[in-house]
Amino acid sequence: MTTNEPEAPVTSDIRTQFHGELDHIQAETLRLAAMVTERIPWGTEVLLGTDLAAAQALIDADDDLDVLSIELEERCYQALVLQAPMARDLRFLVTALRLVSELERSGDLMVNVAKAMRRLYGTAMDPKLRGLISRMGEEAQRLMLVAIDAYAEADEGKAAALDDMDDRLDNLHKDYIQAIFESHRAGNVDLEAGVQLALVGRYYERIGDHAVNIGERVRYMVSGWLPEHTGAARVAARTEHPPPGD
Amino acid sequence: MLRAASLRRRLDDLRARFEPEPVAPSASLGESVDRLGAAVERHFALQLGTQQTADRLLHALDVVPQGIVLADRSAQIVFRNRAASEFFTGRHSEALVESAISELIAAAAGGEAGTQTLELYGPPRRALQLRAVPLHEDAPDAEPAGAFLVVDDVSERQRLDAVRRDFVANISHELKTPVGALGVLAETLAGEHDPEVIARLAERMQQEAFRVARTIDDLLQLSQIEARELPTRDVVPVHLVLAEAVDRTRAAAELQGVSLVVHEPSPRLTVVGDRRQLVSALANLCDNAVKYSDRGDEVSLAARSDGSWVEVDVADEGIGIPGTDLERVFERFYRVDRARSRDTGGTGLGLAIVRHVVQNHEGSVTVRSREGEGSTFTLRLPAGPGPVAVSPPAPPRKAAG
Repeated sequence: MTTNEPEAPVTSDIRTQFHGELDHIQAETLRLAAMVTERIPWGTEVLLGTDLAAAQALIDADDDLDVLSIELEERCYQALVLQAPMARDLRFLVTALRLVSELERSGDLMVNVAKAMRRLYGTAMDPKLRGLISRMGEEAQRLMLVAIDAYAEADEGKAAALDDMDDRLDNLHKDYIQAIFESHRAGNVDLEAGVQLALVGRYYERIGDHAVNIGERVRYMVSGWLPEHTGAARVAARTEHPPPGD
Repeated sequence: MLRAASLRRRLDDLRARFEPEPVAPSASLGESVDRLGAAVERHFALQLGTQQTADRLLHALDVVPQGIVLADRSAQIVFRNRAASEFFTGRHSEALVESAISELIAAAAGGEAGTQTLELYGPPRRALQLRAVPLHEDAPDAEPAGAFLVVDDVSERQRLDAVRRDFVANISHELKTPVGALGVLAETLAGEHDPEVIARLAERMQQEAFRVARTIDDLLQLSQIEARELPTRDVVPVHLVLAEAVDRTRAAAELQGVSLVVHEPSPRLTVVGDRRQLVSALANLCDNAVKYSDRGDEVSLAARSDGSWVEVDVADEGIGIPGTDLERVFERFYRVDRARSRDTGGTGLGLAIVRHVVQNHEGSVTVRSREGEGSTFTLRLPAGPGPVAVSPPAPPRKAAG
């Protein structure tokens, strides 16, 4: 639950209060993350089931995510403005802000899944498609759980592993798209349903990407590293030593 | 002298703080010192006793499977037992339980009792019921002195409720549908003169009659298995059970174009029980596996042992079972897909029979499945006596296909 390793004792009362506030922001971010992670199996169950009311419940429940997201963002801004934090604390708050938007977006994707279920209502999906959807759901949730663990433990190694772990979801996504083509060729799904199903696959795949992004943000929080730094370094190298012929 | 008297009085006053009943004044300074010493000793003994009782109670609360949380009047949690502590990890679904607990506790400390049921998708998927009540120490109208909350896992209760609810609906459906069809068919037959139509109607009637007869047969078999303890306790070689079950399914498999592959176990692998029942259970699983497979798929049987348990797998590459139905397929008349199971002519009792047979044998049956990839049912039975071979699976032998 702690945000950082043991540090110099804080003497000022205001500073102690500030760190209490940071702890609170972390706890609330973890709660938002838990709510989003719950929605992945929930949405999958809705999608593979036939309960329209359940789909509506999931769509409506997104408001809770929005309320918590706004509240969290607000708290982060306040802490930034009132305390003008530096170094680790600053990175912590910036990370929290980025995480909130990644999480909120992931929640929206599961709402999209619920909406897709309504459009797909009555379409009989092949068992193979259904099996792949359940696999993608589990994989997306697994990535999100690891990303949350990485954040809660400020574990840079775990955060860095997410990129490679995401390959499994990407492969499932490829198999799934292939299965849609096969199902369409066999005459089991029409073009509209096929497109809708392909979008569903994309939603799960995007959740995996958001989990990877969270991992990158956690690495930034811990060490200040950003993936963009690699690209920026390349640009810097090019401007210093322009390639011959230019 | 005066100082001794005042000292004696002060010692008596001090003693009064340790003793509940009024203190008789001591005659001398020495007596008051002795009596104070005795009073202090009694007090500490009492305190120790109270402490031990409290410790025992706390330990007892830790054994309670429900989560128990106790808070003071400012809604600060002062105690939680072991089961409740599991919800205070601060992340994943536990974080949601934790925040629900805090909300209910805060309301209860303010005097308002509350109940909330949380449906968590997990994994594991579970339903938790949270109940919070205000704690009143003296008068019930006074401000609450704290709050008390219980977390109860109601998943199993919800599942049983669903079983009960669906069973009545399903059994009436299973029995009424063919009987209703028979009535209508007979009515149509009575006014029919075209011999071709009559033949068709008669055939349909026969089918429906068979269907109802099969359901009744299975129901009778099930109640028979349910009613008695294991009647016979023979040592049954597993490979014979496998062979017999495969023999019964072979014709259906050939018709469906499904190949049955048996990974022949060692002939020394045995279980104790009723051979007929075991064969019937395994044949039921094979029959299902074949039914839900497509032409060209493979159904494979394998047995293995770790010395104390024998496990028999029946694996298919068929349509699989949706995750939400997975734990319900062993219920009587439970059907994943009504349309398909009606085509295949099942009674909806096959897996219920399997479960009862293995329970009679002090074993268990489990299933793993993924839609579109297939299902694997595993029978787990206590191993029979004698030297049990823990052998690697033999090369597959094609039995049909």
